Amino acid sequence: MLSFEAVIGLEIHIQLNTHTKIFCGCRADSWGAPPNSNICPVCCGLPGVLPVLNRIAVEKAVLLGAALDAQVRDESFFDRKNYFYPDLPKGYQITQFDQAIVQGGHFDVPMPDGRIVPISITKAHLEEDAGKTRNDVAAGVRQIDMNRCGVPLIELVTGPDLRSAEEAAQFLVRMRQLLRWLDISEANLERGHLRCDANVSIREAGATVLNPKTEIKNVNSIDAVRNAIEAEIARQIGEVEAGRRVSAWTLDWDDETQTLRKMRSKETEADYRYFRDPDLLSARLTPEWKRAVLATLPELPLARRSRFIVDYGLSAYDASILTEERALSDYFEAAVKALGGNPKTVANWMMNDILRVLNESNATASDLAFKPAHLAETIRLVEAGTINRATGTALITKVIATGRTPTELIAAEGLAQISGDDALQALAQAVLDENPQQIEAYRKKPSLLKWFVGQAMRKSQGKANAQALERIFLCVLPPADV
Amino acid sequence: MTLSLPLPDQPAHAIAESVRTGAVSARAVVEATLARIDAVDGRRPSTSPGPDDPENSRRVHAYISLQAEQALERADAIDAQVARGEDPGPLAGVPLSVKDIFCVAGTPSTAASRMLEHFVAPYTATPIARLQAAGAIAIGKVNLDEYAYGSSTESSAFQPATRNPWNANCVPGGSSGGSAASVAAGEATLSVGTDTAGSIRQPAAFCGVVGLKPTYGRVSRYGLIAFGSSLDCPGPVTRTARDAALALQAMAGADPHDSTAAALPVPDYSRGLDQGVRGLRIGLSPDYFRIRYPDPTTGEIRDTELPPEIVAATRAAAEALARAGAEIVEDVPLPNTSFGIPVYFVISRVEAASNLHRFDGVKYGHRTQQTIRDLRDMYRKSRGEGFGRQPKLRILMGMYVSGAQYASQYYQRALRVRTLIRRDFESVFDPQGAYRLNALLTPTTPTTAFEIGAVYGNSVLMQYADLLAVNANHAGIPALSMPGGFDAGGLPIGVQLFGADWDEATLLRIAHTFETLTADAAWRSRRPLALTQ
Repeated sequence: MLSFEAVIGLEIHIQLNTHTKIFCGCRADSWGAPPNSNICPVCCGLPGVLPVLNRIAVEKAVLLGAALDAQVRDESFFDRKNYFYPDLPKGYQITQFDQAIVQGGHFDVPMPDGRIVPISITKAHLEEDAGKTRNDVAAGVRQIDMNRCGVPLIELVTGPDLRSAEEAAQFLVRMRQLLRWLDISEANLERGHLRCDANVSIREAGATVLNPKTEIKNVNSIDAVRNAIEAEIARQIGEVEAGRRVSAWTLDWDDETQTLRKMRSKETEADYRYFRDPDLLSARLTPEWKRAVLATLPELPLARRSRFIVDYGLSAYDASILTEERALSDYFEAAVKALGGNPKTVANWMMNDILRVLNESNATASDLAFKPAHLAETIRLVEAGTINRATGTALITKVIATGRTPTELIAAEGLAQISGDDALQALAQAVLDENPQQIEAYRKKPSLLKWFVGQAMRKSQGKANAQALERIFLCVLPPADV
Repeated sequence: MTLSLPLPDQPAHAIAESVRTGAVSARAVVEATLARIDAVDGRRPSTSPGPDDPENSRRVHAYISLQAEQALERADAIDAQVARGEDPGPLAGVPLSVKDIFCVAGTPSTAASRMLEHFVAPYTATPIARLQAAGAIAIGKVNLDEYAYGSSTESSAFQPATRNPWNANCVPGGSSGGSAASVAAGEATLSVGTDTAGSIRQPAAFCGVVGLKPTYGRVSRYGLIAFGSSLDCPGPVTRTARDAALALQAMAGADPHDSTAAALPVPDYSRGLDQGVRGLRIGLSPDYFRIRYPDPTTGEIRDTELPPEIVAATRAAAEALARAGAEIVEDVPLPNTSFGIPVYFVISRVEAASNLHRFDGVKYGHRTQQTIRDLRDMYRKSRGEGFGRQPKLRILMGMYVSGAQYASQYYQRALRVRTLIRRDFESVFDPQGAYRLNALLTPTTPTTAFEIGAVYGNSVLMQYADLLAVNANHAGIPALSMPGGFDAGGLPIGVQLFGADWDEATLLRIAHTFETLTADAAWRSRRPLALTQ
């Protein structure tokens, strides 16, 4: 039996997180806004209006191009893609057809098994989004919401370089990470910030030909990408094994039923009559402007991950987690700097405490009121024995709640660790006095030592030095039988 | 001299002067203009006009809609400003008619199409807003060819269409026919038109007034219902060059709503008007003294000489300017002139077809009242009912020549030829070149105003009315048409000036000089027939 490999390319629509729309002054983000409440004559395509290009959208495209090691054109052009649809108010979409701002490039995708899969980028261009149509079949009406009209998008097209549904899913995961890293997009798939179409074909493993492909529309979550492509690969293999040919269809992925549905044959594709939009000048990037934009290009996730491993001696796992988000990695480095070294301890606190707090509060590291300097201060206090580790952890939420520094809180709330031998012995004695039967039990079950320490900790309201307590209990308890 | 004229016939600069000094109230100016409209314009055109009567067929019919009340309110506000000692601006109290292709807030903005018959614009086009800010008072919206697609104003969905004030049996030209006719008949002192292939200059020539097509990008297109977006230029129609300078001054300049409006400083257009023409190099080109066009039936290329009266008027203008010290440069070659119309046929229709996409019955404008099967049916019926013949023809042609199969043969090729046309002008205006022209002097049109119905229906022939004008639009350069006399039938002849990019000032200066030189000529004292009946 033949063995097949999949050939997959993705087209991703990325909603940019600019303040305003791409050609007018309306807010770009209409999340939660009532229909048609964030519109103006320009984005509604009233007679006589003209588009004016949002400079920030161009800057974001330049940054993405640079991050993808692509050619960023010094002059790119805007074209009209003509077609009729009720949610396309001008009857044409302004897009970049043949001279897109970003041309070529590649993107390295680290896979969970450690491989790095290089994916070529064909192009990325700027365009405006259309509105939303809601078909109310029962009432026999179509409702149009134009809030989304004119929202800036980058459409990114990859080469046919992905070889499995999993690679496609990981591509999307890493692209989402990059977009957030560069502050280009919120990249929230549930809100439609990333919308993905997948081109899928199969061929005999090792072959170099490209067979007719199908295009799957509307695969708008990581799981949908994985499931839809897997289903389509299986379908195509089934067709070929049954002696049939794969036709160039456009398919729709129904996430509810997890099934593919044929939308149309490619042969009936429309002629969009592309031509340069005479209402817009070409986007020219002066050398100074380009330089200024590129100066803001941050170190990229994979590079930072490697540096964390090499420079800070972090494990590959920790380095991956800490470079998941740019703000998190910035936080980590700021804390290391504030502490003046000891990156592994900082990483430990990040992995155990900071990530938990971030998850619980659904915040990003840059928004956290417990700043890197607070973390460094806390670590210093623990290392000096002023407080114990648990108190350190507890301090994080206290700092966030009160806005006071760790040192202030320790003084104010008497959180300093109890380390004096006399105090600790008194604590231990009190526990022994109250629990004579446990002393007997201890003879047969020495693991009860932890229980005694726990009791003493509770009595101290968590402030005692647990290791010192353990030593003391070992001295005062009768020897175990075993 | 001007003070002896009735208010509606005075030039804008004189009216503004009187209003600013309080010698005349803006209200009096507006009332006099409304009275003039009442006397000469006849009944308002409509989309269901019924039969015309002989009385009405002698009227001008320039206006589609009047905003008399708002105009009077505005006049009172200006008079109040004057009373308070404030300056209402350089166009204070000047009555303005607006080609109904511009959106003006609160007014029906129809583009002379059924499609927009009931569309009331929620915003005001930049050039109109700027004229209003300079003190001009919008009186109403004037007729045009539907979506500006034509050269006679006959294709308007609002009938009866505008007639030529000099001869009611003739067209006023187009597409800015209402603009030119209203200014010629004193129904407005100033009008704003648009010029895509001569649509300001050709009707200005036919109606005996001044029409200026500025450099592409000199005046914002924001609020102009687009025809051919790469060719469209808003510009003034006036009775004198000085008024054109005043109007352009107010309209010109960068606009945050139009990225194709140039961010260049706007010179003072009035300042140099009286400097004369001594030393200016003014060219004459044989390519503009003949018409070369394909025979509509055989396709054979034909060369035809222009009517002698038109040649004579143009030559007379050159001689007058030469006597005033201009250097006339003969035999200036503009070899790509004859391609202007075929290239325009392709480019303007591709842009027009796309620009018309938005009129789909979904958001505004006409939606069919018939029962519809589906979305496509709704589009077809709404557009089928809303668009007249011209938009439909242009959509067909535009779709065809931009289709994937044909675009390289037609559209892409037309763009390349357009570049050649542009180079013709670059070479003759090049200050280091062989010709070093400051302006090129040509006739504006191959004929004077033709009779209503004589050409309408023949799109190809109609288009050749713009043969001598269109290349300024391809090249983006400024051009001006000024009155140069009359033909034997008593119809005005227009003389045209082309200039280098952004050099409207020189064209205005030449036109003003020519007016001064011919001020005492007998033909200057003629009055349109519409005013004497």
